[in-house]
Amino acid sequence: MTEKEKYRQVCREAAATGVALLLLIVFWLFAGFGLAGSSSTIFHLPLWAAASTVGVWIFAIALVWALTKWVFRDMDLEEESHD
Amino acid sequence: MTETGRPEALLPLALFMALMLGVSCFVRWQTRTGEGGFLRQYFVGNRDLGGFVLAMTTVATYSSVSSFVGGPGMAWSVGFGWIYMAVVQVTAVFLVLGIFGKRVALLARKFNAVTVVDILRRRFRSDALAAMAAFIIVLFFCATMTAQFVGGAKLFAAVTGYSYEAGLLLFGLAVVAYTTIGGFRAVAITDALCAIMMMIGIVLLFNYVLDAGDGYATIMNHIATNEPKMLEPFSGGDMPAGLYLTQWILVGICTIALPQSVVRGISYRDTKSLHRAMIIGTVVVGFMNIGVNFTGILAHGVLTGPAASYGGIDNIIPSTIATVMPPWLIGLAIVGPISASISTISSLLLVGSSAIVKDVYLHYRESHGETASDASLRRLSMVVTAALGAAVFLIALTPPSLIWLINMFAFGGLETAFFWTLLFGLFWRRANRLGAFLSMGGGTFIYCLAQGLGFKIMGLHQITIGISLSLVLFLVGSFLGKSEPDEVLREFFPE
Repeated sequence: MTEKEKYRQVCREAAATGVALLLLIVFWLFAGFGLAGSSSTIFHLPLWAAASTVGVWIFAIALVWALTKWVFRDMDLEEESHD
Repeated sequence: MTETGRPEALLPLALFMALMLGVSCFVRWQTRTGEGGFLRQYFVGNRDLGGFVLAMTTVATYSSVSSFVGGPGMAWSVGFGWIYMAVVQVTAVFLVLGIFGKRVALLARKFNAVTVVDILRRRFRSDALAAMAAFIIVLFFCATMTAQFVGGAKLFAAVTGYSYEAGLLLFGLAVVAYTTIGGFRAVAITDALCAIMMMIGIVLLFNYVLDAGDGYATIMNHIATNEPKMLEPFSGGDMPAGLYLTQWILVGICTIALPQSVVRGISYRDTKSLHRAMIIGTVVVGFMNIGVNFTGILAHGVLTGPAASYGGIDNIIPSTIATVMPPWLIGLAIVGPISASISTISSLLLVGSSAIVKDVYLHYRESHGETASDASLRRLSMVVTAALGAAVFLIALTPPSLIWLINMFAFGGLETAFFWTLLFGLFWRRANRLGAFLSMGGGTFIYCLAQGLGFKIMGLHQITIGISLSLVLFLVGSFLGKSEPDEVLREFFPE
């Protein structure tokens, strides 16, 4: 990658991380406040309490995995390629 | 002072501290050739961290002793709403590494930078801004380190029966010594060991709490019958919506700007390590936050009285440890929380010292056309690290009151100072010196003022004031002031 390509890729990755944050916030809202009215339980916990804690954690891991698999690219960090 | 503690409660911690010192001396010996120059070796470990250590050091630095004591104590009192709030911290690793990780890695290599302030100085061509940034770092870091020392020593005293001072001497001197001797690489490796001890500590306590409370189902039934509000997200009013909002800002989103986290972007070996660290770090930070707070809730099966009967919220976890663990394991159980404390102190100490040595002293010398030899930098870096550590240690011996509030105060201050300056500085061409100056200086000043006066808007933590005002000030400055010259912009934005 040239310096310019690296810069564009880094911006793309930063923006995608921001999008992942938004998705996580939406999921977090849904899993907690969204499910708070449900009366079902799982492992002696109200559904919201399980989904908004362990659920959010697993969702976050999946998001980061997806980011590193599909958006993030390996690049040489040393300055050797030229425009 | 009479000591009533048992030696076996002291032994695991003493052994762990000896291990930390051993690691540090080994690192020192291993890096004696000084490859890449002393400063790069001492302050960013010659940019050679792998994914696992990068993840662990980022998590360990971020997780403080209050995540292990005050936090789960609150979970005990509030219930699942507290974990729901604490889980926003799963963002603490992947956001900072995903947004700044590669950006600062590339820039640091380009300019041979070893601190975040180095990069800001270059971007905004301002020594005054760099000096202000270094000052803010040292000030807030000292406050945070004091809080960590005090928190760790109080827990030590409560659980082992030895005095507060004895605890401070044991782990306080050790952390200052091993940080001074080994520099960044030692800090990163000891941080990784600390993170592992934190996880072991959580698993141990979790198991003993379940045992002592007659199993998971019994405890949960007890909570459902006696404390139903613990099973609601708002906890009958104890967890207001505003608290969720400010926690997202304070311990979630804005943590990307904490200099002690961002500097980790300069320290890793290659992009594979970074990607791996983002995943491992997210797994570990979630495990710790959920694990430790869940344990706090389950302690209801053990501590069934009101909080006051145990000496307040901060005493819930120490009391739980003392109640459920067999005496021979108590010593091991406190290694986890003490690890959380020392792994934060070590990193802050080193970044604070780099701010003084590299960002202020060395820059001053260089701007006067003088160069400093590697040997003199080595001496100076170690002296400054040790002196800074000793100063904080002395403050912690006679701790100021309300120490627990200081941690969040410092978090907010650092975030106000660095959030927009780093985000706009590194990703927005139009960002200029005036904007950065107003945002960092004005925002931080107003944040501190609001904290000092206890002024809040809609009852929300002052971070909301700090972060909004620093945004407005940055935009005003950037649109009123001149753009940075083309040669700077070409270096930072190659298109």
